[in-house]
Amino acid sequence: MSAFLQQVVNGLSIGSVYALMAVGYSLVYSIMNFSNFAHGGVIMIGAYIGYFCLTFLKVPFFAAFILSALGSGLLAVTMERIVYRPLRKRNAPFLYFIISAMGASIFLENLVIASPIGPTFRSYPPIFSTEPIMLGNIALGRIDLLMFIISALSLMALVYIIEKTKIGLSIRATSYSIKGSTLMGVNVDVVIFIIFALGGLLAGLAGMFFGMKYTVYPQIGNITTKSFVAAVFGGLGSLPGAVIGSVLLGLIETMTSGILSSQYRDLIVFVLLIGVLVFKPTGLMGKSTEDKA
Amino acid sequence: MSWDYVSGILILSGINLMTVLGLSLLTGFTGMFSFGHAGFMAIGAYAAATMTMKFGMPFFAALLIGGIASMIVSLLIGKLTLNLKGDYFCIATLGFGEATRLILDNVQYFGGARGLSSIPTVGTTTLPNVIIINIVAVFVLVCIIKSRHGRNMVAIREEELAAQTIGIDVFKYKMIALAISALYAGISGGMMAHYLGYIQPVMFKLVKSTELTIIVIFGGLGSVSGSVIGTILLTFLPEILRSFYNWRLVIYGAAVILIMITRPQGLMGGKEISLKPVIRFIKGRTDKAKEEVKS
Amino acid sequence: MSVLSLKNVTKRFGGLTAVDNVSFDIEQGEIFGLIGPNGAGKTTIFNLITSIYSITEGQVYFCDQKLERLKPFEIANMGITRTFQNIRLFKKLTAYDNVLTACHKSADYSIFSSIIRWFGKFKIQEKNLNKKTDELLKLMGLWEYRDIVASNLPYGLQRKLEIARALALDPKLLLLDEPAAGMNPEETMQLMELIREIREKFDLTVLIIEHHMDLIMGVCDRIFVLNFGIPLALGTPKEIQEDKKVIEAYLGKEEKNYAECQ
Repeated sequence: MSAFLQQVVNGLSIGSVYALMAVGYSLVYSIMNFSNFAHGGVIMIGAYIGYFCLTFLKVPFFAAFILSALGSGLLAVTMERIVYRPLRKRNAPFLYFIISAMGASIFLENLVIASPIGPTFRSYPPIFSTEPIMLGNIALGRIDLLMFIISALSLMALVYIIEKTKIGLSIRATSYSIKGSTLMGVNVDVVIFIIFALGGLLAGLAGMFFGMKYTVYPQIGNITTKSFVAAVFGGLGSLPGAVIGSVLLGLIETMTSGILSSQYRDLIVFVLLIGVLVFKPTGLMGKSTEDKA
Repeated sequence: MSWDYVSGILILSGINLMTVLGLSLLTGFTGMFSFGHAGFMAIGAYAAATMTMKFGMPFFAALLIGGIASMIVSLLIGKLTLNLKGDYFCIATLGFGEATRLILDNVQYFGGARGLSSIPTVGTTTLPNVIIINIVAVFVLVCIIKSRHGRNMVAIREEELAAQTIGIDVFKYKMIALAISALYAGISGGMMAHYLGYIQPVMFKLVKSTELTIIVIFGGLGSVSGSVIGTILLTFLPEILRSFYNWRLVIYGAAVILIMITRPQGLMGGKEISLKPVIRFIKGRTDKAKEEVKS
Repeated sequence: MSVLSLKNVTKRFGGLTAVDNVSFDIEQGEIFGLIGPNGAGKTTIFNLITSIYSITEGQVYFCDQKLERLKPFEIANMGITRTFQNIRLFKKLTAYDNVLTACHKSADYSIFSSIIRWFGKFKIQEKNLNKKTDELLKLMGLWEYRDIVASNLPYGLQRKLEIARALALDPKLLLLDEPAAGMNPEETMQLMELIREIREKFDLTVLIIEHHMDLIMGVCDRIFVLNFGIPLALGTPKEIQEDKKVIEAYLGKEEKNYAECQ
């Protein structure tokens, strides 16, 4: 029983970080209807900013957090400006967005490799003692605990922004209909700026968590594939769906590693992905659409 | 540059071209996006290599088996996922590609993560063979495109709903396009296995699928000659830039974005290079000559 | 014999009833008008007939055959083709290729036969398809525009091209969704002539949605009026023009509105 609970705890912690990535991805999908494959690059940059802040600038831990979030946010917004806006203005079909996103992700990843930073794996300096906090028989890793708490708080902040503020209302309106909300006086450029900024901030946090938990390397962004899967589980474009899907994914992963073997972890995830797409393509909470003639 | 070096790159171009041709039919002509064609290549590569290594089958027969194996899998995948729209189909193919690689990672019969090695390379994927296979592939592709079947696929790309209302079985034609593209990718994988002499699951990652799709777009959606030129350029370019090894992918990524923003129609923009003007030119010359002789 | 009959057809989207208990029969060779204010559910009826939407309740019969669980392409193959209100041509193809594509049902050669194109039926059948395309383009007055990409054609010609494409399948029933939208009065008159002409030539039955009253009253044998999804009236153009309920639906109840303003 305690072994099971232990897996649940681990699953929740990793799932909450997946959620940080998946909501950013889902936000973009809900409004622009395309898979932002460049999200991984943003996460990677966040992880590096955190690493350099802590190792070389020796800034306090929480300041590093804020800096990496801001850095990633800035990158996401810049990318929207340079890569997606020209396509948006031209009403390009969604596949051009996807390909541009792929190009951006190749660009960022290899820019880091080619730069003096290079392809090496780097570990964060030890911030917390690795000794877990014991809760009965269950061991809570300090980093895991922090991951869970900060992710939960950030997600709550996001929900607050979307549900309670004026800009949140614009975001929700735009996700129903870009045309309609433009007619109602919503500035779509601003809305898209905001969603990329929000997604970028959260991606920076996620990047730093992954750096702390594992190591930093240029391909760390590939982990976003997991957030796409999580978003599909929950239903593309739905924020609660992205969170639930992420937690579910975290749980499934830790359970497979615990019960079978970590070798099968990714395999099970992708097989499940295909399963979900076949049997319930709109996911748990996705919106279904009937084609209009 | 020695001839061996150049012919090596030409063979690599030919191997890539084979998959790109199939993808061109799927993406450029039928309008569907795949991020899983590395998976179809993997199936072809493993099936063909197993046939020659373990069953001593001749090269061409093994290639065909590789292609057919990957086509059969594509029919299965298509049956399950072709009803999905846009991004969902894309993500499904991504899932398929990754799942294929991870399954191969775990199957000991195929050598697990270490893959298969000492696949016969002598007299198999040679330059003449690659050229012959590609010429046949281009010919078959052009014939399909220039028939009612090809026109139906283009109709689906242009306006799926209207295609249905003029009696096109959209699902069936999507299936055909997917199956042919998988057949091509499978044969391409088989050629790759017999060129390198070894294969590993890690060669067939998502990045490979992306690269293939990017080539199709670079060449121009809906243009076979664009695919051919695009493949040769994009296979040679990185090799020539090898001295800037680290920077070439940075340039590559930036170039992709630049193309999407400034020239989204790709190199050829849906047009074809055809021999007709050349023929007309020569004919014109001879006609003129005849007239001159007459006068 | 009735070519198309709707029996108590209802369509609901969630809580909204877009088409409520609609029934009518269209006779062989008839030009049948379907009119009503915006949002009356006219296009929804087209989408129900062509199986783009599924019917919530009721049945549709085509030549006494029940249309049930068919895909849109099967409907087209049975002999019902249509045009769209917001033109859906194959935009990047030429006018010629738009029609040629739609002719595909007049050939049955296989993929294999298109690869060995010098042998077998490929060549003859392709020639026939091209001939058919030529004829249709000439008939619709589009011959001189055949090499122009569809999206570059003027609006009126795009509508005509859509009709040509629909005719390429040799339909028995043609559904036209606002064919005169965006046309000037002169073009509209020509279109009226054209619709009559193709009915004779192809032995067609036509169901037509249109806001242009001159066209509807001039060309239709009978008219069905729909308001907010509810059937309002059915009759000859003359009867419809004199129907009080129809006038009310279009112009509103004058006294009542006035009273409300007070």
